[in-house]
Amino acid sequence: MKKLINAPADYVDQMLEGLTAAHPSLVRDGAAGRVIRRAGGARKGKVGIVSGGGSGHLPLFTGYVGEGLLDACSIGDVFEGPNVQSCIDAIRLADGGCGVLRLYGNYGGDRMNFDMAGEMLEDEGIRCATVLGNDDIASAGPAEAGRRRGVAGLIYAYKTAGAMAEAGAGLDEVVRIAARTVAATRSIGVALAPCTVPSAGRPTFTLAEDQIEMGMGIHGEPGIWRDALRSADAIVDEMIDRLLAERPAGAGDRVSILVNSLGATPLEELFILYRRAAQRLAGESIVVVQPLVGPFVTSLEMAGASISLCFLDEELERLLAAPAQCPFWRVG
Amino acid sequence: MGLEVAHIARGVRAADRAMADLEGVLNEADAVIGDGDTGSMLARVAAAMGKVELSQATDVGLAFNALARAVASATGSSLGTLLATALLSLGKAGRGRTEIPWPEFGLQLAAANQAMAARGGAQPGDKTVLDALEAVAAVLAGADAGEPADRLAAAAAQAAHQALDRLRAQPCKVGRARMFAQRSAGIDDPGMLAFALVMDAVAAGS
Repeated sequence: MKKLINAPADYVDQMLEGLTAAHPSLVRDGAAGRVIRRAGGARKGKVGIVSGGGSGHLPLFTGYVGEGLLDACSIGDVFEGPNVQSCIDAIRLADGGCGVLRLYGNYGGDRMNFDMAGEMLEDEGIRCATVLGNDDIASAGPAEAGRRRGVAGLIYAYKTAGAMAEAGAGLDEVVRIAARTVAATRSIGVALAPCTVPSAGRPTFTLAEDQIEMGMGIHGEPGIWRDALRSADAIVDEMIDRLLAERPAGAGDRVSILVNSLGATPLEELFILYRRAAQRLAGESIVVVQPLVGPFVTSLEMAGASISLCFLDEELERLLAAPAQCPFWRVG
Repeated sequence: MGLEVAHIARGVRAADRAMADLEGVLNEADAVIGDGDTGSMLARVAAAMGKVELSQATDVGLAFNALARAVASATGSSLGTLLATALLSLGKAGRGRTEIPWPEFGLQLAAANQAMAARGGAQPGDKTVLDALEAVAAVLAGADAGEPADRLAAAAAQAAHQALDRLRAQPCKVGRARMFAQRSAGIDDPGMLAFALVMDAVAAGS
């Protein structure tokens, strides 16, 4: 294992120390310092939005704490859910007295921890609701969409729900927008090379030098096929075909697209992918608004990329364009 | 004869000590289809449980509750949260009790298993830690009230290993491992394996 670290056991805490030192808008909090919240704290009278998940995916999850996005975020060890205590702390820190939306990816461990935290908070009278990101079309068939994992497309729900909450909407409205955004978002990834969890010290999977895996998840979960590397255009064509095949019923002709690096893939390659994706969408008479290209949701040093499409209507497009500011994403 | 706080304290100490040897073994077992960190995670959890001052606990329920809080603060892994869920269930069942007859404790373990099933969505037979705990619960539930603790612990460890043997050939049905269903046939579930090996340590230390 070759990593710029001091010790695997210090990986997450030292990362958070540096993240908050570099970005004073983010503050560490919680019993074990495993919550990131806005420097200004929860705003009274605003619905709170919390997320959480394992480390290893920056800017997800903690990087999206900021105005118009998340209020607080619990963070676990690498690829391990945030513990129950951190989830309790994050929910409390996000609570401005109007309820809290728990908005995170559909993973068993995260679900257990947030659910248990909610049960332990019931006595405190904090009203909680949950919306789970499940945009990864490679993780289960359309009939089992509820079993799909949440990947890069989760940030669209952060953005729209965050804008809704910032505008003063109530919990039910914020939940409705988050759920609608999740339902309108589809993602698929392709992996070129694996990543190594620091405490494990060796790659989570192996992939031959000339092989790629279509549909792989952000923790190395198996995808749809593994085969020889092919051209960027051919890879994008397949990804766009698969995404459009799952276009939500009644979707319009406007989308936002996120071409995302899984960690090691450079911006140059992302723009080569974006070029083709934009051509393909134009060919389908789909209008791209607010394209996002860059590392938004990573998987340590995994090489590869994911493409997400968020099918917009007037309301979602307006919320996506509303002002937002965090260290890794600024709108308006 | 039954479960007292002193038994819980001895069991935690045995588990904590045993993790020095088991950490690597369980990391290896997890690396076959997982991240390879189950041993390190459980070593952290066992150390956190070992730091709980159980001599302050005046009843069995308080002891289990204190352990549940320690686990819930030490890890966010599914296996860790399931363990915290089981300990909370035992904490509720043991509230105000200084001694719980072994057969009754067996029934409480079965209830804790149901709490884990409700939390995690797995069922007995899915090849998870639930199957190992179910086997142990059955041994205790069927015990004579006067049976000595060391004999029961040995029988419980044996039952956990039998569950491991019985399900080894079966593919995993839940969690991340279900996505590797074919490859998971023939290998042990790391959570079940951990439970059986820790039961060995508890039996040896009782």
